[in-house]
Amino acid sequence: MEQNAIYELLAGALGDGALGFTENPLEPWAAVETAKVAEACRFLRDDPRLDFDQLMCLSGIDWDGFDEAGKGKSVSILGYSDDGQPEKSDRVATGDLGVAYHLYSHALRHKFTLRVRVTRESATVPTISGLWSTAAWHEREAWDLLGLKFAGHPDPRRMLMEEDWVGHPLRKDYVMPDLWNGVPLQGQPYCANPFPVESGGPDKPAGDKPAEG
Amino acid sequence: MSREITPPPAGYDAGREQMLDFKVDEQLLQVVETDAKNFILTTVDEMFNWARLSSIWPVTFGLACCAIEMMATSATRYDIDRFGAGAFRATPRQADLMIVSGTVTAKMATRLKLIYDQMPEPKWVIAMGSCAIGGGPYFKYGYHVVKGVDFIVPVDVYVPGCPPRPEVLLDGLMRLQDKIRGRKGRFIAPKWVTDYAKLIPYRK
Repeated sequence: MEQNAIYELLAGALGDGALGFTENPLEPWAAVETAKVAEACRFLRDDPRLDFDQLMCLSGIDWDGFDEAGKGKSVSILGYSDDGQPEKSDRVATGDLGVAYHLYSHALRHKFTLRVRVTRESATVPTISGLWSTAAWHEREAWDLLGLKFAGHPDPRRMLMEEDWVGHPLRKDYVMPDLWNGVPLQGQPYCANPFPVESGGPDKPAGDKPAEG
Repeated sequence: MSREITPPPAGYDAGREQMLDFKVDEQLLQVVETDAKNFILTTVDEMFNWARLSSIWPVTFGLACCAIEMMATSATRYDIDRFGAGAFRATPRQADLMIVSGTVTAKMATRLKLIYDQMPEPKWVIAMGSCAIGGGPYFKYGYHVVKGVDFIVPVDVYVPGCPPRPEVLLDGLMRLQDKIRGRKGRFIAPKWVTDYAKLIPYRK
């Protein structure tokens, strides 16, 4: 089934919970209201015309620096600048967070993408781990790396990072700690150029006069 | 064209030649017999170092894609066993060498430290690949990567590459053997190493 036809069915079932459909040659997607995402997913899974039996992927998104249409520029916050100096800014990220659900139907061979958007303050999405059990781990990962809380999740632990890790590393305003549990994470400033620019570069090290004539 | 057949020399024993599967050289036999009356001078240090460098047993420990190259090094084509380092031990208590082959994450670093501390002295560490040397491609944005395993354990030999080819790892092993060959006395860890080691807690 075509994606916009799927969306029309979904909009009919959800009413005003469906917030619009974006035609996109790569990945068309439908926005739904956050509170109704579990309902939308249940409809997509159980309706015999749609029959989405697989959740291919669940992605957490930090839209800081990007507008609604996905246009924008990512801002580097952690790490080192190109000249090797530690680079930390105090900029506070303001954009929304989101979740994208990529669904696939093996029987009918069509796929569909749902997106929800939540504010950075609440960052809470209803869980869909009761619908597709694979979502449980994906949601744990999204919680781990982006700090998205999934209301009703059966096992809301971190997935990849250590249990006592502070913060959520893939947030745009995450600042890498210097030390975690005695383990240093910041490296030494690297690329101390042994041939500084004043000396004329590697071919002409300092003190070496260029050949006369 | 006829081939001239030389008669066997005096004292030639056909049965002995058959047993040894090569022709007995009477002159060589003389040399061996004189050598047998000689003696060898060495020191305990040299003898122990020779024994250690000839049987460096690594701990079975791989972290990332460098571990695949390490396995290739231990397989038949490159055959790390030629250097006496092919007995990958399943427990650090029987190992002399830790080849840190891959990215050391913060989560793994505490475990790596535990494995290193379980190894008996004397012990050596090879940092294999860019990640183990200095974080590699994760240097700038790797929030979870230790920027070099020498922040955690003292490293003897750095083997660069991403990942290093087996030849390079073998070369690193030979450099480590050179290092062991020149060592004198009992190994004592530097004070900064022991001080620093106390900062990192154990994790299981």
